[in-house]
Amino acid sequence: MNDDHINTHEELRELKHDPVPGYRPVFYVIMTIASLYLAFIIFKTL
Amino acid sequence: MINAVHPALVFMAGALLIPLLKGKAKSAYMLLLPILSFMNLLQIPAGSHWVIGFLEYNLTLCKIDRLSMVFGYIFHIISFIAILYAINVKDDGQHVAAVLYSGAALGVVYAGDLFTLFIFWEIMAVTATYLIWARRTKASSSAGMRYLMVHLFGGLCLLVGIILQLHNTGSVEFGHIDLDGLASVLIFIGFGINCAWPGFHSWLTDAYPEATITGTVFLSAFTTKCAVYALARGFAGTEILIWIGAAMAAFPIFYAVIENDLRRVLSYSLINQVGFMVVGIGIGTELGINGAVAHAFADILFKGLLFMAMGAVMHQTGKINCTDLGGLYKSMPVTAIFCVIGAASISAFPLFSAFATKSMVMDATAKDHLTVIWFILLFASAGVFHHAGIKIPFFAFFSHDSGIRTKEAPLNMLLAMGIAAFLCIFIGSFPGYLYRILPYPVDYAPYTAPHVMAQLQLLFFSALAFTLLMLSGIYPAEIRAINIDADWAYRKGSKAFMWLLTNPMSKFGAWISRTVFDVIPSALGWASRNPVAILKIASDSLLLKFAVPEKRDEIRRRIQREKEIYPGDIIRHWPIGTRVLWAILFFLAYLLVNYLSGVKQ
Repeated sequence: MNDDHINTHEELRELKHDPVPGYRPVFYVIMTIASLYLAFIIFKTL
Repeated sequence: MINAVHPALVFMAGALLIPLLKGKAKSAYMLLLPILSFMNLLQIPAGSHWVIGFLEYNLTLCKIDRLSMVFGYIFHIISFIAILYAINVKDDGQHVAAVLYSGAALGVVYAGDLFTLFIFWEIMAVTATYLIWARRTKASSSAGMRYLMVHLFGGLCLLVGIILQLHNTGSVEFGHIDLDGLASVLIFIGFGINCAWPGFHSWLTDAYPEATITGTVFLSAFTTKCAVYALARGFAGTEILIWIGAAMAAFPIFYAVIENDLRRVLSYSLINQVGFMVVGIGIGTELGINGAVAHAFADILFKGLLFMAMGAVMHQTGKINCTDLGGLYKSMPVTAIFCVIGAASISAFPLFSAFATKSMVMDATAKDHLTVIWFILLFASAGVFHHAGIKIPFFAFFSHDSGIRTKEAPLNMLLAMGIAAFLCIFIGSFPGYLYRILPYPVDYAPYTAPHVMAQLQLLFFSALAFTLLMLSGIYPAEIRAINIDADWAYRKGSKAFMWLLTNPMSKFGAWISRTVFDVIPSALGWASRNPVAILKIASDSLLLKFAVPEKRDEIRRRIQREKEIYPGDIIRHWPIGTRVLWAILFFLAYLLVNYLSGVKQ
């Protein structure tokens, strides 16, 4: 099986994930709540 | 009387005939090999067989029990699937190596003694190396050589351990080994290297992505699983394995998330999944061992399926990096569906295989009150969904449209993936069939409301995290780069070592060589022309150091003169009487030494 095909499509050096406006605050809020909740669970468990 | 041959023999002898056949006969023959081997295996009853004398020891070439049988079943299944996947490969060398490799893996799991295990262990290393080299690229050549070096080192540890173990116990039988001395530690490390323990793991992430498309499917199934089997047989209940396994489950996630090469992502994922198995073996309870073995069974199928899906993508597009792929679901919808099934299986979605197997290990940690380990495995479960469950299908088949338009993978590849996908769903939906063949009786029900709910929560929140990371732009960019891992040791360390060899060490060596082979011999040659004159020059030079100042000029002149006339006339200064005196002195010294040695006796 030959995996050395030559593909003429553009090859990216880097595939960035551009932010969608408004989602970064949502991420931080959810992360904070989730981290606190996880810390609470771990504290109760250990 | 057994009407069968050794379980490894059908594959190993059968492999040698492959180059003699052509066309469809070859394809049919290759597909028939695992079927014949499986039928042969079913004829062999439990117990020890083919016991042969070697020196004063008995070697048990085949020992069949429930543990070895589970691995025997799955090795036959994956061999059939992988051969079907590779049936169109026009390289007999690859076919022979792959079938020999499968046979050697069977030899390992049915070995009743450590020497037999070692022989098959090394055959695996050599044949696996060929599957890496067979891609015939510069990268595969280098990676294959590194793979071989690491595995030969592991084999050496194993061999020395076996010899010491034999010396200590007088037995080569392969059973439980207590980790209590150098012999057992070396055997432990030998198994650990093949198991890709942290620090010893870079051979896997280095070599598997560089192997041939079909070779990687074989590689993902056998080497690490044979090590899991060997640990389950020899070191079940060894506590340190719990921590090693937890580290294996956790650390690859970070590398997998930032990795661009999707087959390398799967290689990290392979270490992560083997980590769960190692934890189960370390716990060593019936549930832990059952969980480890069941998860090995499931992992061989879903990891094989994922490697096959990525192999199909690579085969059709020639690309495997996230930066190059995307949007392939339009061109390769069936492969995309199979890939999603593999991703769901590895992520332990309900009704998919890992849900019924990985949870056994999790439950074993909970039952042993290993809270920290349980949390680490929970994190690892979320991580595996992140990098294998989402990243693999997302970047290959969805994500940004790379613009690549191709055809669906060949039929044999689709069939192989279809069989693996079916088995992933079958095991997840009807785990009782797998539980029945596990080493110990199973008293475990995966489909309880709390388990299903907890798992769905885990998956839902992991998916939410991925989505938010992507939308907020925090998710790390896929970059065409080499991420340095434990391979730092040979990527950077070897360069430093080579500099050390070619600069200071080389100069030191040249100085030694010049001194020993040039300066000293020529000095001795020069001195031998008149040793007495040399002694006189030396004694005058010594005298010069201690002489009073008014005598120094005279001594200097004398030395100068002695050097000018060197070697001079030897005979003139040394009459025969002096030589007789020297001979008498040497003779007296000899008599003295002889007398003293006689006194001592």
